[in-house]
Amino acid sequence: MAGFRLIDLAKPFLPILPEVEIPYEKISFDDKMVYTIFTGLIYLFCQFPLAGLRKDDLPTVNDPLYFFRGIFASEPRTILEFGLLPIFSSGLILQLLAGLKVIKVNFKLKTDRELFQSLTKLFAIAQYFILANIFIFSGYYGSNLSIAQIVVLNIQLVMGGLFSCLLTEVIDKGFGLGAGAMIINTIAVSTNLVSDTLGVSQITIDSEGNNEAQGALINLIQGLRSKHRTLLGGIISAFNRDYLPNLTTTVLVISIGAFVCYLQNYRYEIAIRSTRARGTNQMYPIQLVYTGCLSVIFSYVCLFYIHIGAFILIQLIAKNNQENIICKILGHYENVNNIIAAPTFPLSLLTPPRSVVGGITQQPLSLVFYTLFMVITGVWFANKWQAISGRSARDISRDFKEQSITLLGRREQNMAKELNKVIPTAAMTGAAVLALIATFGELLGLKGKGAGIVVGVSGGFSLLEIISLDFQQNGGESNLGNILQAGMGF
Amino acid sequence: MAGEKTENNQMEKAMDAPLEFVREGNQFLSKCKKPDLKEYMKIIRAVGIGFVAVGIIGYVIKLIHIPIRYVIGQVEL
Repeated sequence: MAGFRLIDLAKPFLPILPEVEIPYEKISFDDKMVYTIFTGLIYLFCQFPLAGLRKDDLPTVNDPLYFFRGIFASEPRTILEFGLLPIFSSGLILQLLAGLKVIKVNFKLKTDRELFQSLTKLFAIAQYFILANIFIFSGYYGSNLSIAQIVVLNIQLVMGGLFSCLLTEVIDKGFGLGAGAMIINTIAVSTNLVSDTLGVSQITIDSEGNNEAQGALINLIQGLRSKHRTLLGGIISAFNRDYLPNLTTTVLVISIGAFVCYLQNYRYEIAIRSTRARGTNQMYPIQLVYTGCLSVIFSYVCLFYIHIGAFILIQLIAKNNQENIICKILGHYENVNNIIAAPTFPLSLLTPPRSVVGGITQQPLSLVFYTLFMVITGVWFANKWQAISGRSARDISRDFKEQSITLLGRREQNMAKELNKVIPTAAMTGAAVLALIATFGELLGLKGKGAGIVVGVSGGFSLLEIISLDFQQNGGESNLGNILQAGMGF
Repeated sequence: MAGEKTENNQMEKAMDAPLEFVREGNQFLSKCKKPDLKEYMKIIRAVGIGFVAVGIIGYVIKLIHIPIRYVIGQVEL
């Protein structure tokens, strides 16, 4: 073995890292569906509040990551404080590094693949641990925690992280359909959408003890006959209240989701022809959204690292003291509604505004910088990812050659070249468009829900594709498939 | 090698001339095949039903949480 390789770092941890075994026998399609949905539901069930926080010691540090919550399925002050973020980031970053040959991995060797997998998991868990301690020592969970509390919090947050790693692995290893983290994210996004629209739980909103429903639609219906508001006031408040989900955001989120659905069906069709059977020309579709929503996730991972770095400097080192030199350079956090910590200029350049009006009047530069950041990181990522994800022009032309397929009217030798004209453009254009949609939603003040629905719908879409593909291949063998077919009319 | 070179070129193009990228992207978008209304409605229905169904089950699980939250909230160290 020549030299030191990063994946060897994972070697000593191999025996102690828990791992999901690959299924022994073939799992039927119905079982896979059940595994997939239930894994997502178990994840949702794990959003327990953290135990061991003192009630009288209310934390003064607010949530600096409020606009990441909707994208990474995380809930503030629960075991899943960081959601799926470390899993996404370690997976994306390590695969990107391996693809760009920064980390040397021989994916043809089984041992190397195993090591790489363990390294990804290890990196994710390390991130959970580091993030947990950043939050603990910044005073996010209370200003003077005892040692016992710190230990208990650490155990909860890291174990929560490890458990979510294993949940995603259950789906990834073939018990479920599609990519684990993505599917769990989709389920969490859909749950949030439903509870924001139809949630019936009553939440006290003012000191007089008036209650309003969490769901925007339910709130509208209640507003028509509530005692503390007039009829018109109730309707107006249903559309513009800012302490709980309102109908305007719900409508926006749904229309963004519908638009992403439309975009998912944009495709560039290349005419192909089999060299063995004559006269059968077919179309090979190349999707516009070639790298899916991964480009948006990657942009958000980058954004997250910038924000967590700033959080360390501002909160952990400078204690959010406006006199401190760090705060003068980077800006500080301002308390909004006692829940979120909103960064000020210049950190606010990379923070989506909390409302349209506030965005235009208070942080007009964010509109430009935030959009540019999202588009540039997204496009850069899409360009790299399409080349290394196993669906590059070279991979596809090799597959075509094996199946004796050629492009209509082109010579066989030029196939990779022709495909290479289309695929990078598709990936980059798709990433730019997706980034623009997500940014559009965020700039309207959706606080993470806009990007969340983009990621959620794309994830749901990939699941739908797998389901319909499986259905075409196994044609009506599964009971669940029949029910789905009857219900949706595939 | 050839693949890498064109990729680099394209990367440079995208960096040097964002306008070029926008033009190329627009061209590509206009060449794409768009879903027709019937196809689109079918997809919207499938995705919508799936989203709402899974969301409702998920929300029920969140409702189970409310009493559990209350119990855990009592634990103090």
